Amino acid sequence: MEFLSRTQLITALGAVALALYVLDLVRRRKLGEEYSLLWVIATAVIAVLGFSTPLLRSITHALGVLGEASTVFAFGLAFAVAMLLYLSTKLSRLGLENHMLSRELALLRHELEEMRGSAGEENH
Amino acid sequence: MSAPRVLVIIPAHNEQDSLPKTIAEVRAKAPNVDLLIVDDGSRDATAKVARAADVLVVRHPVNLGVGGALQTGFRYAVEHGYDIGVQLDADGQHDPAYLGILLQPMFRNTCDVSIGSRYVESTGYRAPWNRRLGMLLFSGVVKLALGQRITDTTSGFRAYSLPVMQVCQHDFPKDFPDAPLLIALARRGFRLAEVPVVMRERQAGQSFYTLGKQLYYPYKNLLASIMAFIRRPV
Repeated sequence: MEFLSRTQLITALGAVALALYVLDLVRRRKLGEEYSLLWVIATAVIAVLGFSTPLLRSITHALGVLGEASTVFAFGLAFAVAMLLYLSTKLSRLGLENHMLSRELALLRHELEEMRGSAGEENH
Repeated sequence: MSAPRVLVIIPAHNEQDSLPKTIAEVRAKAPNVDLLIVDDGSRDATAKVARAADVLVVRHPVNLGVGGALQTGFRYAVEHGYDIGVQLDADGQHDPAYLGILLQPMFRNTCDVSIGSRYVESTGYRAPWNRRLGMLLFSGVVKLALGQRITDTTSGFRAYSLPVMQVCQHDFPKDFPDAPLLIALARRGFRLAEVPVVMRERQAGQSFYTLGKQLYYPYKNLLASIMAFIRRPV
């Protein structure tokens, strides 16, 4: 196997290590399957690019990128942006749901206090 | 010994059109069971039509998905002294006439989870090709993991014993409670059994499965199945 630089080898091995770590997080229930999908795709793509120099070369050439390293960085950055966007949408939804839950809780507490109040009056 | 108490749990998300019919059918064909509707954050009149039918109704303020709705049902069943919980779809797919067949192995205590299966015997049901491929794949995955053949891993017509519900009220898949759930339960030592049922076309409402979910489904269920297999059963 031919590597263009030591960086390429380190990147590829790093991607494999990260993929294994992500899968172990899922196994230990620290990460949901849903969130693992993008991580697994990202690490798999980076690892394939890292280990297959001909593929990396042809993609770099096809995209008109000046250096092979930039191609790897571009893919990495694209996944980082995708992940952040995905997390932002999740966070927005969580915020909305949290808001709704708080309102629901406030109304329930009010109802409970009213019920307790009227029950107290009956006793006296 | 008194007869086991059975709670039929119906998760319902925007099912106002089909729910009254489903409730009436369960009442007519299985008069000895109690009914709990879990309104999973519906935006239509699901809770209202359920209340009008005079059944137990629990409402989620937000949509938690079918897994969350079932967990609420399990929790209710455990806290209110039920021996068996039955999962039944609101959309009319599951014929309550088969409740007796589904519950039979539970009453005899020959299994802990009874699965109403479309494929145990030829029942005339033909799924679309992608569904069939998925079923074949996950049936194979379960067979590989457990050595037991479950032909209909995606069936949402199931009965669970009290010990199973005690586990599932805390630990249950958020979405797609299919092959990974069955593997996890079997790994905990629960016995699974399949009984033949005939299912109908859904009558109204929307399926839980959209296109995005159809693409995500194989990934999630394959990964979760592997995890359920290699995780030490708690």
